[in-house]
Amino acid sequence: MQYMLIHAGAPGLDDAWNDEAWAALTAWLDDAIGSGVSIEGGPLRLDADATTVKVRDGQLIVTDGPYAETKEQVAGYDVIECASKEEAVRWARRHPHSWMGSVEVRALVGGAPVVHLPGPAAGKTRYMMLVCTDPAVEPREFGPVEPVEPWVAEMSSRGVRLFGSELEPTGSARTVRGKDPGAIVTDGPFAETKEQIAGFDVLECADLDEAIEVAAKHPMARAGIVEVRPFRSLEEE
Amino acid sequence: MAVLDGVFREEWGRINAALIHQTGDWDLAEECAQDAFAQALRRWPRDGVPDRPGAWLMTVARNGAIDRLRRSRTYRAKVEELAVMATRETGTSDDAEPDANADDGGVADERLRLIFTCCHPALAMEARVALTLRTLTGLSTAEIARAFLVPEATMAKRLVRAKSKIAHARIPYRVPPASALPQRVPGVLAVLYLVFNEGYSASGGDDVIRRDLCDRAVALTQVLAELLPDEPEAKGLLALMLFHRARQAARVDDSGDVVTLEDQDRSRWDQAQISLARRWVEDAFAARRPGQYQLQAAIAGCHAAAPTAQATDWPRIARLYRHLADMTGSPVVELNRAVAVSMADGPAAGLALLGRLEAGGALAGYYLLPATRADFLRRLGRNEEAADAYAEAAALAGTSPERRFLNARLAEVRSLGPGGVGSDL
Repeated sequence: MQYMLIHAGAPGLDDAWNDEAWAALTAWLDDAIGSGVSIEGGPLRLDADATTVKVRDGQLIVTDGPYAETKEQVAGYDVIECASKEEAVRWARRHPHSWMGSVEVRALVGGAPVVHLPGPAAGKTRYMMLVCTDPAVEPREFGPVEPVEPWVAEMSSRGVRLFGSELEPTGSARTVRGKDPGAIVTDGPFAETKEQIAGFDVLECADLDEAIEVAAKHPMARAGIVEVRPFRSLEEE
Repeated sequence: MAVLDGVFREEWGRINAALIHQTGDWDLAEECAQDAFAQALRRWPRDGVPDRPGAWLMTVARNGAIDRLRRSRTYRAKVEELAVMATRETGTSDDAEPDANADDGGVADERLRLIFTCCHPALAMEARVALTLRTLTGLSTAEIARAFLVPEATMAKRLVRAKSKIAHARIPYRVPPASALPQRVPGVLAVLYLVFNEGYSASGGDDVIRRDLCDRAVALTQVLAELLPDEPEAKGLLALMLFHRARQAARVDDSGDVVTLEDQDRSRWDQAQISLARRWVEDAFAARRPGQYQLQAAIAGCHAAAPTAQATDWPRIARLYRHLADMTGSPVVELNRAVAVSMADGPAAGLALLGRLEAGGALAGYYLLPATRADFLRRLGRNEEAADAYAEAAALAGTSPERRFLNARLAEVRSLGPGGVGSDL
């Protein structure tokens, strides 16, 4: 089973990286990659670089900023492969983000498993696309959400969608906060917002306009909110 | 040096746009443009103004960019690209003296690229406005901060954040393809209109800077209208701005009080600007693709065409407002429509429309709503009710000239007593 570890953190997360956090991350990566548990992952640019996309009444609405106004924002992710959610939670507890912010654990449901990919092609930018629910949209307004498969097929064949998945409902999520042995695991997602992450896709596009175009074609752009945010590149570190 | 100020306004955006395109570095572009103007300020008084000041500045700025990039050693490819361009344009090597006959062809399109990038929908509206003013008109961060009444540090942060998002989220530096223009042009026009209104409506702050904002908004809109001849709304917005600016001198009296349209000295309206505006609005209408700016311009044109307030074609204005209200669904437009209807068909008809608007609640707290009701009631001779409405409006009004106007009317209706004779117009 694959699980997504969603790293969340409040503003100022960058300043919280100290020697202990770096050492913990290095050890985590050594073990998670060395044992084949960690499949993919990476840090995102700060939420100020996020753009949200939705389509209402046929009109494309593009907005500066992340999908929800929350204290903690998504800062990065890992997809890991392990036997059970309990094991996934154990990996989350060891990750320094669990005490620098929080780590939400969600199982990937449906779709092809995530596989590791090399870095972006020359001249391309990678974006995390978070597919989110929008409680402001009344279900009867748009009817049943259209199937996502045609979008997945089109964007994958164009080479702009690398991988992605729907996530299990937030009710089954676990969130880890604090430093072991005192880390606390709670049921539910990291943020108590009405908008919630329902799935994700990793895109590789020429620029933000292409990412917006791809996001706007996703069925959830009409029934929810789609956020696109660039990954943090190594040169920035 | 007065000539430099004019050249600065004319050329800053072009030079900045060209350098951003060639180097991809917004800060470098700004520094080099700034240096070029500083050199001009030192050298032109001594050596005389070159025949083609824009080309001179462009060459100096580009050479500065090459120098800086060369020193940084990491952008070899870009240096070569710039050097090739410099040679192509001046026929000399990159370190030669600026050539007054250099060709600056194609830079107009560069400015268009810059406008669309600064006004990208993925940037917050306030960031779009700030970035447009800084990079295209050369208004300093301090001046923009003063115009929008925020601390300079806040404005500086806003600009840094916007430029960072452009770089990291990879907002493309280009004019959108024709198929995307209908989606993107309204966003650009909205920024320009906001800048103009901020300058025109005087919701507080420094007068000189505010007038300057209007001029800069007009200049940029003209660039857009000329470079996008198939976008009638750009022409409509330009016409609208010109009609408004033509009335600027008559809008405020010597003591700084607001003079309403009906009381303005129409001999002080700028007829040259009015006829220019009229040409733009006719040009726009010829495309048969009406839009909100074109309709607003047509309405402003009706006012401009009336030699006296009494001669205003109110039925036509009321008709245009109805189209505009259908198009925008805006309650402010409905309010204006009620005013036009009151002039065409009498204050009672206006009051009926206003009642519907008040019931909707969308304009609660907006001082012009009770101010308009007060005016209708005064004209109907219902002075007591009018006085209450004027008092309510004065309490909500933002600036002191508006408050003074409302209080003067309040005193006037009070002096007439509860059943005094109302003057309809």
